[in-house]
Amino acid sequence: MSENIINENGKDLSMLDINDANTGVNDDTSNLTHSFSQMNVDNPNELEPQFTSIRKHRSTLIFDDEDEIPPYADHAEHGSGNVSDSDSMSDGSVSISDSGSNINLNSYSDSNVSYIKQSQSTSDTDHMDPSVMKNHTMNIPGATTDTLSYNMDQSIQKSGSNSSTPSYNNGTVDTQQQQQQQQQQQQYHNQNQSPSNTQLKNSQGNIMVPVDITWQQGGNKVYVTGSFTGWRKMIGLIPVAGHPNLLHVKLQLPPGTHRFRFIVDNELRFSDYLPTATDQMGNFVNYLEINEPIPTITQQQQQQQQQQQQIQQQQQYPQQQPQYEHVARGQDIQHLPQGQGRKNFDQEANDIANKKPLSARSRIALEIEREPDDMGNGFTRFREEAPLKEKIEYTQDIPAVFTDPTVMEQYYITLDQQQNNHQNMVWLTPPQLPPQLENVILNSYSNSQSSNNENTSGALPIPNHVILNHLATSSIKHNTLCVASIVRYKRKYVTQILYAPLQ
Amino acid sequence: MNINPTDKAQPDAGENVLLEQRLAVESIRTFLNSKTSYDVLPVSYRLIVLDTSLLVKKSLNVLLQNNIVSAPLWDSQTSRFAGLLTSSDFINVIQYYFSNPDKFELVDKLQLDGLKDIERAIGVDPLDTASIHPSRPLYEACIKMMESRSGRIPLIDKDEETRREIVVSVLTQYRILKFVALNCRETRFLKRPIGDLNIISDQNLKSCNMTTPVIDVIQLLTHAGVSSVPIVDENGFLVNVYEAVDVLGLIKGGIYNDLSLTVGEALMRRSDDFEGVYTCTRNDKLSTIMDNIRKSRVHRFFVVDEAGRLMGVLTLSDILKYILLGTN
Repeated sequence: MSENIINENGKDLSMLDINDANTGVNDDTSNLTHSFSQMNVDNPNELEPQFTSIRKHRSTLIFDDEDEIPPYADHAEHGSGNVSDSDSMSDGSVSISDSGSNINLNSYSDSNVSYIKQSQSTSDTDHMDPSVMKNHTMNIPGATTDTLSYNMDQSIQKSGSNSSTPSYNNGTVDTQQQQQQQQQQQQYHNQNQSPSNTQLKNSQGNIMVPVDITWQQGGNKVYVTGSFTGWRKMIGLIPVAGHPNLLHVKLQLPPGTHRFRFIVDNELRFSDYLPTATDQMGNFVNYLEINEPIPTITQQQQQQQQQQQQIQQQQQYPQQQPQYEHVARGQDIQHLPQGQGRKNFDQEANDIANKKPLSARSRIALEIEREPDDMGNGFTRFREEAPLKEKIEYTQDIPAVFTDPTVMEQYYITLDQQQNNHQNMVWLTPPQLPPQLENVILNSYSNSQSSNNENTSGALPIPNHVILNHLATSSIKHNTLCVASIVRYKRKYVTQILYAPLQ
Repeated sequence: MNINPTDKAQPDAGENVLLEQRLAVESIRTFLNSKTSYDVLPVSYRLIVLDTSLLVKKSLNVLLQNNIVSAPLWDSQTSRFAGLLTSSDFINVIQYYFSNPDKFELVDKLQLDGLKDIERAIGVDPLDTASIHPSRPLYEACIKMMESRSGRIPLIDKDEETRREIVVSVLTQYRILKFVALNCRETRFLKRPIGDLNIISDQNLKSCNMTTPVIDVIQLLTHAGVSSVPIVDENGFLVNVYEAVDVLGLIKGGIYNDLSLTVGEALMRRSDDFEGVYTCTRNDKLSTIMDNIRKSRVHRFFVVDEAGRLMGVLTLSDILKYILLGTN
């Protein structure tokens, strides 16, 4: 159980460990989710000893997941809080199982959790559906798999041609388990823990990213004001329990660069723990660059998940009863022949399908797509051979078409003749500039007298990252070439303008 | 700074002001030490760099076009930072041409990398090539800036991949002082009269009058090592100033014919957005001075008496020096 067994095969080992851990409770390791939920509810005493060991694994495995989930990294960067860190980590992971293991979904579903102020205890009843299906297809031990899940697997294989890294699989399952356990634990401890890495859409439909702003430099009344409130409104920070001197506030901000300062006991201040810069007026401010999360799912799916969450919530409040019910159902699946189990899935899938616009099958397909080829127990997924790529040869010689003007001319004449679209000399027209490059921030630099006073540092608007590292040029005047390029320097942007003679 | 002047009793108000000013200066120093040059850069900014193979007269146009008075140079042969181009380089060229009127061809075709030869020919110190890493404390950058003649310090870093130099930005005295004035609330506790601080330059103050030939004024700029020469009338009243940066407009387009003008005529070529001449008295407080720096692009204050007679000058480097190193 030690962490150093996590090597290249580490995932498998840890998987086995968990299986071992499980055997005490339930010999059938095929459906870990169920055995765990069962354990928690039925045999709470047996939960404790295994818990620590699994936690250990989690600590190693979760890093793999983290690497693949940008929001976590973000979270760590913002350093929202020490205690809440591990909790919120599991928040994210909780939604992994909620959303049916599509890891990139987690932040979205998370957001829903926070949005509707749902408590930590995502009910077993509902997130079962996807996770059960997933576990089913993934962890069925050898013999039973072949016939029963064939159909499903077939479709999955086709759709899941580009899956993620092999280690991913077990990691997810692992986390899923641990999530459930931790979840249960958190049910006792902190019901109101709100997830930290959430992103949701505001009423206008813009994507909002949650940002935790902290203040740790003393003071009683601490407010934050900034570009996000037009520097007018002040937002109060609240103390973090158990951390004297630490105050925070969670804001939903649109992606972009936000400037802000703190008002600490009526004094305008800035944090020494956050990036600083001077603005166009020369004021020293804190700033944060908030990136738009990479949209991995469609809006439809997102809505769907929101719905699911809401339903989940509704079902959760009727208290324990549905949970028991579901556990019973889960048990059924385990012990029943797989066919029946599948029927159950289909039923559940239909349930989902009735509620949501997307069919259960495509949902599963989407989930499975991200799972690895190595299905454990020596099984790998069947794949169609990728079309053989043409062999490319590299050469040091410059083709004659670029060196010999006559060859080049011939080439273009042929090119012209081939194109029967009556557009002569099409190749002479350069391709159109991508629209994002049309807006050159240097052009918005005002040379007018009024701004001269204020803008002593040559401050420019913050560039969109897509225009970085592009070379811009002005027309050549007086035999002088002027080129400009925006490059990143640490967490700031330098627009270098170089004047050089044409020679 | 938790000092509230009203807390203290009136009788020792003078002592109080003294203490406040000392604490305020200390606080500003701590602040400058706690921040790096990188910290104070805007999130996004422009930086104009000139290739050393550019002609001097072309570079002059570039500076004027962009409304700047200085730019870092880049040697594309060696891919290295090659110093700062400042108004003193143009003054050197003017002086060289003035003493070698037959070398117009050379001056006209002079490239930026040929400025070294001009320096050698007229026997002045070479360009400042001092620079500092952006992650060094701001205080250190300020000290280095003060030591340089141009009152600026380039921020140079090395690219992590290519190990080549990157010109990150150039900090100027004005930029630093404006930054302090804007962001250090302690400046409002600098209530001692500047006359008491021993920071005003009033010895050997060079001045000229409106009829002085501009070339003499330019010579004065280099020989006295100053960035401006005040222009006074026959009674010693301050009427205008000739700044080192004014030479850029004088030789605009690479025309050196106007060197025979008087300084008064030369000033006619100054652009309309000239900030004006700022004056103060010995009784003004540094807090007021800083307030003016915050509001306008001022580079020096001429100290005058009640009648308006020129008494001395308080430059940005005098102020910076006091804030960084002043002991009283």
